[in-house]
Amino acid sequence: MARKTMTLNLTGAEMAVLEEMCAKKDLSKTVLMRQALRLYQRVEERLDEGGKLFFENEATAEKSEIMML
Amino acid sequence: MTDAQPSDIRAIELYDNSAQNFVEAECWHGIVDKNLADWEAEWMPELQRRLKLLNQKNIERRFWPQSRHWDWRAKLKDIEKRLANQSFALICNGMTQAMMTVDTTKRARIEGQQTQHLIYVDYIEAAPWNRGDIASDPPLYRGCGTELILAALELSILEGFKGRLGLHSLPQANRFYLNRCGMTDLGQDRTYENLRYFEMTPEQAQLFIGKGKGA
Repeated sequence: MARKTMTLNLTGAEMAVLEEMCAKKDLSKTVLMRQALRLYQRVEERLDEGGKLFFENEATAEKSEIMML
Repeated sequence: MTDAQPSDIRAIELYDNSAQNFVEAECWHGIVDKNLADWEAEWMPELQRRLKLLNQKNIERRFWPQSRHWDWRAKLKDIEKRLANQSFALICNGMTQAMMTVDTTKRARIEGQQTQHLIYVDYIEAAPWNRGDIASDPPLYRGCGTELILAALELSILEGFKGRLGLHSLPQANRFYLNRCGMTDLGQDRTYENLRYFEMTPEQAQLFIGKGKGA
């Protein structure tokens, strides 16, 4: 599959989070950013359809809505 | 609108049951217009013909192919612009022999792998003439399921998911995923039509890849 290359400028804090997430998920920076884009697109699609994004704690059954701007 | 050309084509082999040998085939990364045309013009009439045979033999509907209502055109339309979903098709002798769609954003459930990403197989189906469970005809080509699972594993490794793979299986395919693919059966999923959920760890993936098409 043809790939295109871009340069991504991040702050130190953003890079630190990216590296922390990569270590946690055992993924490269490229793969992690691609996963983030896929999820972002999916969330946007569901919001555009009128959906809401919730997190549910299975133990307490507590639900909290994520506000998406 | 589905693409006219796949993004990648890889040479594979399928087993020709009548010739009793392996024949050249292709794995296309991306289901395209041609595959949907094959499904509509060739798979569907053949499926109807075989369902008619099952009905004439008074075979109970619960033994009919459980994927018989799948509409691949609608499935592709649902995911055509989604980065999270990808699709594959197997071609042999100029005809689409099997198709699969996958999701790249699901996470593992098996102990020790939880929250790690995997390739989740949404839908996988062989052409009616390649299935041994519809009427009495032997499959034309064997190995379609194995080759598509290998394609999903290759994607999993390419994405950095190390071969992790998950899927909900239709009851008629449970044995294939358990015995031939060597996946772990995590039991019935009450949140997904009570279908059994299977998962493959990186170690199981290496074993399956090692067995190759003879698996």
